[in-house]
Amino acid sequence: MAITVELTYDMAKALGGVRRFEVADARTVADVVRLTRERFGEQGEAFAKLTRVAAVAVNGVLSNHQRGMSTPLVDGDTVTFLKAAAGG
Amino acid sequence: MIKGYAGRVLDVDLATQTATYQPLDEDTARLYIGGKGYGTRLLYDMTRPGIDPLGPDNPLIFATGPLNGSVAPQSNRFAVVCKSPLTGGIGNAACGGSFAYGLKRAGIDVVIVRNQASAPLRIEIDGADDRVRFLPAGELWGKGTYATQAALDKKKYHAVIGPAGEHQVLYAGIVSNERIAGRTGVGAVMGSKRLKAISVNGPRKLEMDDEDAFKAYTKWVREMFRDHPVLGEKLKRYGTAGIVNTTNARNIIPTHNFKYGHHPEAMQISGEWMEDHELTGVKSSCIHCPVTCGRDVELEGVGRVKGPEYETVALLGTNLEVLDLKRIAEWNYLADDLGMDTISLGAVLSFAMELQERGMLNAGLRFGDVSGVSDMIRDIGHRRALGDHLADGVKRLAERYGGHEFAMHVKGLELSAYDPRGSYAQGVEYATTNRGGCHVQGASMYLESVGPLTINPMNLKLKADIPILQQNLACAINSMVLCIFTTYGMIPKQVHNLDPNSFTYKLVTTLFENSGPLMRTAMQLKGKPMMWFEKWLTYITGTTVSGGHLQEIGGRIFNLERMYNLREGLTAADDTLPPRMLHEPTFKGMTSGHPLPQLLPRYYTLRGWDAQGVPTRRTLERLQVRI
Repeated sequence: MAITVELTYDMAKALGGVRRFEVADARTVADVVRLTRERFGEQGEAFAKLTRVAAVAVNGVLSNHQRGMSTPLVDGDTVTFLKAAAGG
Repeated sequence: MIKGYAGRVLDVDLATQTATYQPLDEDTARLYIGGKGYGTRLLYDMTRPGIDPLGPDNPLIFATGPLNGSVAPQSNRFAVVCKSPLTGGIGNAACGGSFAYGLKRAGIDVVIVRNQASAPLRIEIDGADDRVRFLPAGELWGKGTYATQAALDKKKYHAVIGPAGEHQVLYAGIVSNERIAGRTGVGAVMGSKRLKAISVNGPRKLEMDDEDAFKAYTKWVREMFRDHPVLGEKLKRYGTAGIVNTTNARNIIPTHNFKYGHHPEAMQISGEWMEDHELTGVKSSCIHCPVTCGRDVELEGVGRVKGPEYETVALLGTNLEVLDLKRIAEWNYLADDLGMDTISLGAVLSFAMELQERGMLNAGLRFGDVSGVSDMIRDIGHRRALGDHLADGVKRLAERYGGHEFAMHVKGLELSAYDPRGSYAQGVEYATTNRGGCHVQGASMYLESVGPLTINPMNLKLKADIPILQQNLACAINSMVLCIFTTYGMIPKQVHNLDPNSFTYKLVTTLFENSGPLMRTAMQLKGKPMMWFEKWLTYITGTTVSGGHLQEIGGRIFNLERMYNLREGLTAADDTLPPRMLHEPTFKGMTSGHPLPQLLPRYYTLRGWDAQGVPTRRTLERLQVRI
């Protein structure tokens, strides 16, 4: 099972510029945060703190319109972390 | 005369080269404010149905509002109204820059430009003695918008066209400084009149009903804007392109001619990327605006120029699969100098690329390939070779070469950079907005997809209500004439700091999603002014204006625009989305396209229209829309 994780700018900066990576065995969005924190050490901790006020999209649909951090994931899903939006 | 207005309309006839000052109609000002509202009323009354948009009978109306000329943030904009050569319906566009400021300084609320000149000319208005001069513009004809403005009187404020307007590219715009009234082809109408530029200035000062209250309150608003997460932080730091990562994450950034709503490398054209890699450090704004959403970039061989905005980076970026900010900045500069709308331009180029991909057109344009694009933009601007066909916009290009099912326009106006399949209210707004597929006539996507407080963008709840609320508000805002960004400040700072996955956030959004009847009632309440733009209007004009008043005024303007379109032959059949949006899913988990057919009848009912989308007599009487 592989989940693609995409990070927008501020979130990527917390991980030293990593913008996209894969995690295995994440069954929920919360698992993705936990696995990312474990994998990136101190930077992962900073990232995990940012996720507390970040929006999370699963395949483009915001997690808060699904089941929040408990939103289930299946093989091939894309999880995107992003900070609150501005205008355009 | 009501305070805030200069009280004068300048009526210009290019055929006779005469100009007269007429009094502003106070009743119209009370009913329609100014800007596009006042302009639409004039257009409706001045013209007969079926006129040629590029003929002498189409007046070009420049209109300011009562806030123009003040120091209110985001207030120095002007509207241009005419029959659109692109859609055949109501045409309008708004522009920042400095021209509105110059008009008010000259004591002018509205300029009506009638008929056509026999040779290129320009107009100079001197507000000190009210003199209007008609000057030959043969030497300027053919020049870009930047060179044209540089050649004009430095003490005046200008509205000019470039070669695209001269050649009547159907999506040509009118430029003031580095800003453009881009949409619906207002620049082509100015070109058809052989009018290269209007220059204006004067010594007059805006008179207000309560200047002290206005000043004190404006000081407070500036501080509030400075602390606001969108107006004071995100937009100030990243500009409008700061939204790229958000629209990309939510699958609504146009990619490959709107086939997809996501591009894996979109970050490279984001405002954040621009901040780190391309920005010269200089940020810019329209007069008196503290938001400074503009930012300058360095172009080789040209120097420091205006950087691309969100719409431009999306439609000339992901939509063409070009992830090169420098190249996009170059095309943006080129389009601005030629004087054409980058939204329509990006959609036309991507449509041509898909036609090429399918073997239906040989334009030498391919997704992801930058070669040939600059030359094509120049050819469009001068209507040379195949550029002559692309200059007519997506709708006409599809009529010529086929591809209707992936022609991304509504009513002939190319879609802006939000894919409605991931933002259902925005889709209803695109389908019903009178000037066609545009986002600044409501910006419903802000409440469901890109703002800090997002209701579910992909269910049917409120998806017919929100566009009405937003369209009415935008009609009023565009008639003041304020920047639509001012509405972003309506969501308070505290909401931006909520955890989107928290109970509180979910409670707020759930309550909002189920607030239909409450929202409809609240829209009619006429009490005290609450929002800054309501207070500004009240302090300046002396007439109390609240949210309910603005909804009523906005609804009046929207219905008058609708009646204009119906008069010109547009029908309910034009209230639709491109077939690609209706029938093709865009991302994983989606099984169909936008559910517009389910939402449109509800929208008509809430608007007070019949099943054919015609406003009922009762609705028109309630809103005092005289037909």
